[in-house]
Order: sequence, then structure tokens, then C-alpha cells
Amino acid sequence: MSRLGKRQNQAWFFLAPAIIVLGLFLFIPSIISFCYSFTDFNMLAPKLAAFVGIANYLKLFKDPIFMKSLKNIVQFVAFVLPIQVGTALGLALIVNKKRPFNMFYKVAFFAPVVVSLAVTSILWMYILNPSQGILNSLLAKVGISAQPFLNSSKQAMFAIIFLSAWQACGNQMIIFLAGLQNIPKSLYEAADLDGAGKWATFRNITLPLLKPTTVLILTTTFIDAFKMMTQAMIMTQGGPLNSTMTPLYYIYRTGFTDRQLGYASAMSVVYGFGIILFTIVQRKVTRADEGSGQ
Amino acid sequence: MTKSRKTFIIILSTILIMLLALLFLFPLIWMIASSMKSESSIYNDLGGIKAFLPGLNPAQWGSAYQKLLGRFNILRFILNSVLYALAVTLGSVLVNSAAGYAFSKFDFRGKKILFGLLIASMVVPGDTIMIQKFQIVKILHLINSPWAVIFPAVAGAFNIYMFKNFFDQVSDSIVESAELDGASAFTIYWRVLLPMAKPVIATVGTLSFIGSWNDYIWPLMVLTDADKFPLQIAITNINNTQPVYMNQVMAILTISTVPLVLIYMFFQKYLVQGLAVAGNGDK
Repeated sequence: MSRLGKRQNQAWFFLAPAIIVLGLFLFIPSIISFCYSFTDFNMLAPKLAAFVGIANYLKLFKDPIFMKSLKNIVQFVAFVLPIQVGTALGLALIVNKKRPFNMFYKVAFFAPVVVSLAVTSILWMYILNPSQGILNSLLAKVGISAQPFLNSSKQAMFAIIFLSAWQACGNQMIIFLAGLQNIPKSLYEAADLDGAGKWATFRNITLPLLKPTTVLILTTTFIDAFKMMTQAMIMTQGGPLNSTMTPLYYIYRTGFTDRQLGYASAMSVVYGFGIILFTIVQRKVTRADEGSGQ
Repeated sequence: MTKSRKTFIIILSTILIMLLALLFLFPLIWMIASSMKSESSIYNDLGGIKAFLPGLNPAQWGSAYQKLLGRFNILRFILNSVLYALAVTLGSVLVNSAAGYAFSKFDFRGKKILFGLLIASMVVPGDTIMIQKFQIVKILHLINSPWAVIFPAVAGAFNIYMFKNFFDQVSDSIVESAELDGASAFTIYWRVLLPMAKPVIATVGTLSFIGSWNDYIWPLMVLTDADKFPLQIAITNINNTQPVYMNQVMAILTISTVPLVLIYMFFQKYLVQGLAVAGNGDK
């Protein structure tokens, strides 16, 4: 331990800014979520807030929109995770090989990452416009009839899934690429000498050695996907027929737009704990997995 | 035969991958091309390859941008976004590095508990408590203040953790010899440790800048005056302000993307480093 250790009180001087900010904007909001969740707090009439026990919690499990939003987000995660991560791996494998125009490919696959979610959302609203959008015009060229996309409760979520994967997968491609380049070349040379085919080399060398990278990407993408909100907010406002309503957006609508902070807090607590639980279980599983893999 | 077959495979794979690359790029090419032509030619060009090319007359390429700048105070929004992002970047480098320094080089009462709390807080999804965060901003009378945008973004558990990790690797003997020379705890932080931490500063700084630049929902909640809006909110406003011209919308989308292109071009390597740290630590 350094001699600075003796001057322990000075540590608080360096910690203070972080403690104040995290305290005000992370810890206190977490705690008041709990407190508000047992009240009927309304932002318009904060003085009238009364203790209502667990009424909010009972209400939310009977709230069809909240339940629908949970179903929607599970659908979103279930599709976006394999599509996004699978595409990212494929793209990384493509650009990892020396090819003509390789730099161009890398830039092309990564370009959507640079576009913010707000820009992505608005841009795709125009692309997907049923009557004047470029996508339907292009589909018409190959003989596919015009699709309603965001106007359809069946297609809207899938449209959001695809454009979300389009926007983000370049990021994961870069991480996969870093993982691929960490695999020692000598292993491939040895496999080549042994006469191993391309598929065998991929299955027995690339995939196993890429596993830590894959686990990292899967876990971060998984948790992030549960927080989807901006796309739904800008593109569909949760519609049509709540088919793209996500839990975070519903919490925002209830607590911020409709000012029912008490009820929204109950949802924050339930959904927040859900995500925390997922995160912890996932870390336990990946850690146990890594232990047995050695 | 094998040689010609090889050539064939190379040509075929080049064509396929090129198509895939264009599939990724087409929305962005269309965005930029549409911002460089008249409103009517956007619609007229929709069905063909011309949709992805700017207008025929180069003199008209800037006209949507000019009209956009005439209708809205775009420079103001750009300035706002730059100021928010720079303030968040500077703040988060200072606040997080100072906390990382405290956790790494001091031995104070309650350190273990505090650090445990910090690590635990990494699993708390901040987005679920946005409305409660808003309530705090209201109590502090910071609604519609730029500070409401900047303040909450300057401390993050993950960033503190990255700085702590880096400072842990700096030998205590360096700190001790500086102390023997009479350096104060602040001098050691400011003159010795912080200059060494350039890679972490670059990573934390870049991540903070991009995060702040792209932030949409939080500024939308806490800001009410249009002249304080960052670009991301201005974009949605422009998209909702009648009359809506598609070429002007595409122009503002393009404008708001350019700075990030530059950031990614120059700082990409630090972003990958940050992700590598995230992968090794935090378990």
C-alpha cells in the first residue's frame, strides 16, 4: 500500500464528484422508485399522493399493454440477438480474409454504426414508407407487391428488428474481428499441414477459440436489446395496436407523458429487477462455463 | 483448370460480397443522394438507380442545405450538441479518473463497501429509472438547464472501473517517490498519473462523446426551450414541422452524422480497446 494510504481523508476529495453524481442520478432514483411504487403519486398533484400498498403491482400484471410490451420485447430479443450476432460473425469472417476491396467492405459494414438511433429511425421511416418509400419501389422492380411495413401490426416489429440489427451489427463485427486476429496463425498452419479442410478448421479452431468473444458479444447484446425504446418511440409510437410497445417506452409514457409516477415506478421496479436478475444469472452461467471449459 | 476455377471463385465472391456491402450502404447512399436533389426528383427517381445518385445539376446539390439553414437555426443546434458532448467528455474524464485514483491509490474507511456498491451498480439498468431521475432534476430546479443534460452523464461505474484498473498497474513506487519529492495527492493525480492514462482517457472520452452526441430521450425530457435542443431532438422536430420536405430532412440527417464519421475515423482504435477491457474485467 502506498504512503498515500495514510492520508485517507483526501480520498474523499477525489471521490466526491462521482459519489454526488451517481448518488443523485442512480442511487436515489433507484430508491425512490421503490417508495413511489407503493403510492398513487401523480406529477400533477404530488401533494395528494397516498400510500396504496401493493395495488400498483397487482394492477400491472393485469395491465394488457404492459403484458403485451413484455411479449413484444421477448420477440424483439429472440430475433435481434441471433440475426445481429450471426450477421456480425459472418461479416467478420468475410473481412478477416485478405481480399480485393477489403477496406471498402469493412467501411461499408461498419457505416451504419456511425448513424445515431434517432437518425436511423427517421431515415428508415422514409425508406419503409408504404406508398412513397424506396424499399417498396425496389421491391416492385423484382415483382414483390407493396408491403405496409410499419403500418402493419404484423410487420412493424420485424421491421424494427431488422433495422436495429442493420444499425448495430458493424460494432460486433469489429469485436469479432479483434477476436479472430488474436487466434495464432500457427494453429491454422498446423491444421493446413494436417490436411484439415476449411470447415474442419473453422469448427475445430476458429469457433472454440472465438468462444470468449462470442460470449461477451452475446451477453452485452442480450441485455442491451431489452432496453429498446428509441426506435419504437420515433417510428411507431408503440403502434399499430401496441405491436411495438416496449416496456421501457411504456414506463416512459405512463410516468412521463401521463404523469402517473406511482404506477410507472412499480413497472420500473419489476422490469429493472428482471434485467438485473438476467444479468446476474447470465454472468454466473458464463463464469461456470468458462471454468469447465479449461 | 484449377487456376481458371480459382479466378472464377474470386470473381463470384467479389460480386456477392460487393452486393452485400451495397445492401448495407444503400440507406445511407440514398440519404445523402436525396439531400442533394430537388423534392420532386426524389419521388421521380425512386424506382431506379438514379435514386442513389445526386441531382443532375451540381449547382443544385447544396440547395436543400441552404433552404434548411434558412428555415431553422441549424448552427445553434450543432453548437448545442458540440457543447454538450464536449462538456460531458471533459467532465467524465475528470470525474471518473479522480474516483478511479481514489479507489486505486488510497486506503480509506468504507472503501470495500463503496467499491462493492459501485460494481453492483453496473447491473442497474439506468434507462428503467429515467422518470425518477427526471423527478430529481425537477427537485433540483434544473429543468431546461444545460446542466440537466451534462451532469448525470459525467460519472459512470464502468468508466471509474477502467481508470482504477489502469492506475492499479502503475507501480506504487512511482507514487511514493513523487511523494518524497513533496508532491501533494493532487499533484500526483494531475501531473503524474493522469498524463500516463492517455489510452484510458481516449477510450472514456470517445465513448462519452458518442454517447452524449447520440442521446435523444433524456435531453428531450429535461429541455423545454427549442434553442437549447441538441441536434438529435432538432432532427425529429424538423421532421415534424410542416411543411416537411424530404430533401431537407435528409440534409439534416446527413449533417448530424458527419461529426460521428470523423470521431470514428480518428478514435476507432480506442473504442476497441474499451471493449477489450469490458471483456476482461467486470466478471
